[in-house]
Amino acid sequence: MAKVKVKMCMGTTCFVMGASDLQELMDIIPSKYGDDVEIQGVPCLDLCSTSSEAKAPYVMVDLTVVSKATVESVLEEIERKLKNGQE
Amino acid sequence: MFIDIDCAQEKKYNQNTYGDYFLSKRYPDKDTLIAVLSDGLGSGIKANILATMTATMLLKFVEASANIKLACEVVMNSLPVCQVRKISYSTFSVAHCSEDGEVKIVEEGNPKFIYISDGKVVEPEYTVIDSDTFKNRHMHVYKLKLKLGDRLIFCSDGVTQAGLGSSDLKLGLRRSGLIRFLLEKIKDMPDISSSELAKFVVRVAINTEPDRKAKDDTSCCVIYYREPRRALIFTGPPYHQEKDNEYANEFFKSSAKKAICGGTTANLISRELNIPVRCDIARSVGKLPAVSHMDGIDLVTEGILTLTRTVEYLENGFFEKEKNAAYELMQFLLSSDCIEFMVGAKLNQAHYDPNLPIEIEIRKNIIKKMAKILEDKYIKRVTLRYI
Repeated sequence: MAKVKVKMCMGTTCFVMGASDLQELMDIIPSKYGDDVEIQGVPCLDLCSTSSEAKAPYVMVDLTVVSKATVESVLEEIERKLKNGQE
Repeated sequence: MFIDIDCAQEKKYNQNTYGDYFLSKRYPDKDTLIAVLSDGLGSGIKANILATMTATMLLKFVEASANIKLACEVVMNSLPVCQVRKISYSTFSVAHCSEDGEVKIVEEGNPKFIYISDGKVVEPEYTVIDSDTFKNRHMHVYKLKLKLGDRLIFCSDGVTQAGLGSSDLKLGLRRSGLIRFLLEKIKDMPDISSSELAKFVVRVAINTEPDRKAKDDTSCCVIYYREPRRALIFTGPPYHQEKDNEYANEFFKSSAKKAICGGTTANLISRELNIPVRCDIARSVGKLPAVSHMDGIDLVTEGILTLTRTVEYLENGFFEKEKNAAYELMQFLLSSDCIEFMVGAKLNQAHYDPNLPIEIEIRKNIIKKMAKILEDKYIKRVTLRYI
């Protein structure tokens, strides 16, 4: 099974809109999923400048964009990907 | 050329204040600098007041006058005599330095400065001007042309007389002893900064004393003509996207130390030059996104928030418990002499969304503010380029 890759935007807009609170994912993900899921911060996903509505913070779970991301919504998306991967 | 200047001091061992006073001021619009070292008679508070007054007067006089010789002569002729000891109440050295290497020096009573060029001591010619009012006062006036790598070392007699009367050095360290130490140190560390060399001289003087206690106020001022340390900061994407590649290449090829401030900017340079950005430890410290890493770039940070916080630190000082990205950026800026900003003029509309929990300032304004502080408070040379 391929690893699920999570990219968390650390750009200005995302950071002030709540990405700073998403950093607990850095602890949760490795302890919960081990090597199945990889998480990393990225300087900017360039989504805030292209989207017409304010939906920051953004997190990418593989190729899926999680907008207005929370710890719960990101974990949900990861679960979905893992489940799909197993099927 | 950039003039690196610093002074190190130690007070006489039983005193609570310094009896020597050092003062320097840069004039960026004229590319010049004036430095004054004055040694007040005696030690402690009295000496401190005498030296401070002499140095302050001299700086103001030289600053106001086109002629350093005349300004110093007026001070030499007007300084009073100590009622108790019947000798001059303070001695001084004044240097007026231009960035093109022209240096004018006037000395009265302080040990002769040491001029080191290409690892050797140069003994330049001087003219002597006698005081009209006091027989025992004479000024030595020098006019020099320094080149890259040259140094001038000024010190108070606390340095040259260190160890005086001890069994090993009956006459103290003397100028000749100090020269030996200086030449050896410069041979070992040819690029040693003025700050480090001045500290070294004071250390040598104190270590020369048998009991490692300064017997007199001990000061050393070093002037070093060197290549400026350049820094280049790229912040914000360029207004014309088609020029991204051109600017990214220009930035990367610069020989200056490099910093990127902004996530989009980091992505842009990464994309144009094919250098990956690593955010391995993306933990924010002090409510700021953490620094990232790129090969060939000295510092990569988030943009507006980090810049805003850096301005705060530059203005008011850094008092946080943990070092964050703004601290790193501040250190990056302060360890450079000439700082150039490449400011991308493209706006990110998302930053001006009224729903954002905090107000985000316009990049141009923050950089303007930062440039002003760096110029006025830290005497850096700052260039702004909007792209």
